[in-house]
Amino acid sequence: MRNKETHFGFKSVKEEEKQKKVGEVFHSVAQKYDIMNDVMSAGMHRLWKRFTVNTSGVKAGDSVLDIAAGSGDLSKLFSQKVGPSGQVILTDINASMLAVGRDNMIDAGLQVPAAQCNAEFLPFADHSFDCVVVAFGLRNMTHKDHALKEMQRVLKVGGRLLVLEFSTVWDPLSKVYDAYSFKFLPFMGKLIANDADSYEYLAESIRMHPDQETLKKMITEAGLSKVDYYNLSAGIVALHKGYKV
Amino acid sequence: MLKPLAAEFLQHITNQNNWSRQHLLAFAGKIVQFNIALIKTKLLILEDGSLSIASNHAVADATIHIPPSLALRLLAKDEAAKMLIKIEGDTHLAAELSKVLQYMRWDITEDLSKVIGDIPAEKIAAISKKTVAVTKKQAINITEMLREFWQEEKPVLAKKWQVEQFNNDVDTLRSDFTRFEKKLAKLKQSIQESTTN
Repeated sequence: MRNKETHFGFKSVKEEEKQKKVGEVFHSVAQKYDIMNDVMSAGMHRLWKRFTVNTSGVKAGDSVLDIAAGSGDLSKLFSQKVGPSGQVILTDINASMLAVGRDNMIDAGLQVPAAQCNAEFLPFADHSFDCVVVAFGLRNMTHKDHALKEMQRVLKVGGRLLVLEFSTVWDPLSKVYDAYSFKFLPFMGKLIANDADSYEYLAESIRMHPDQETLKKMITEAGLSKVDYYNLSAGIVALHKGYKV
Repeated sequence: MLKPLAAEFLQHITNQNNWSRQHLLAFAGKIVQFNIALIKTKLLILEDGSLSIASNHAVADATIHIPPSLALRLLAKDEAAKMLIKIEGDTHLAAELSKVLQYMRWDITEDLSKVIGDIPAEKIAAISKKTVAVTKKQAINITEMLREFWQEEKPVLAKKWQVEQFNNDVDTLRSDFTRFEKKLAKLKQSIQESTTN
């Protein structure tokens, strides 16, 4: 079990090392995370996140768990949706990213509790949330199947799981997208965050992530029903939605 | 690009027409497909009673077909045209959503006022409404003019009374033919009886 290997971008590493290596990547980019997101996606990540919130069906008074919340963009949007009678909890495995997210919540005047936790072992009771969301985080998890099962466990019956993640781009665009990912991204990473390696890992990890149909199957296998997905921006990202019944 | 914008717009419209949520809440999770002329779109009713677009692979619970000719009549507020809309699947769901969409309004003045202030927003909205009304009237006038031209000057289309006359003539011919058939049968029978005697 301890000798099992997993991928870290295109490299193979021991399972217990992946979490540490991913942690190093996010620790390195945490302070420049927002600006890099805007540069890399030309601001599109804001539209993708708004789409996630708009298709969530979350209403005032609902409880939302934001996993791998990063700088807290989704937590902010969901806080507006659930209102003062609802509850959003911001979580991240990485202390540096969590600190950025927590500070952003405080700066925005939002009362959003922040908790450092591993999505594969969520410290919440069964049937706790109306909606669980993970945006651009599942890709970095070592055991995606465990994490998805945990998300299913903490959902209330009738609750929704939303997974926003980079996915497989529409085939005619794949060459341009490859050039963008493997040349432009590391270059911009070096220029803005002074860290080309982390952005090279980002491009590689996107390629290693399951495609739309495979992820749909994984979410179904984790016990969610009526799983469906939206391709956004020609499949650069996909939003998967599943229900706990 | 379009999906997030469409979802954002639908959310905005639902927020402006908050009353619509209570009508749609009972249908949460259902999908309705609209086939209007060449445009096909699927709307999803969310758990909070708001609307969003459904994914391309989603299976519709109800489908509403509106061909181009009917779409024009509906635009001209022809009440009789509503009876001709074809619905497949869950008719209750389709009827409720159609009813809600019919009464939903985009309060463009409210949105504009946040950007340019109340007075210019009111003026722009008034001008836009007038322009839409004039354009609609012109479109109806042109359609009427073309109809008259193709009926009177260069007859390609039949007039209503001509179609009715034709239908009456066909009915008369059909009943005359039936009578003739029966008379012929009677005649045949009487000939047969006279020859056997």
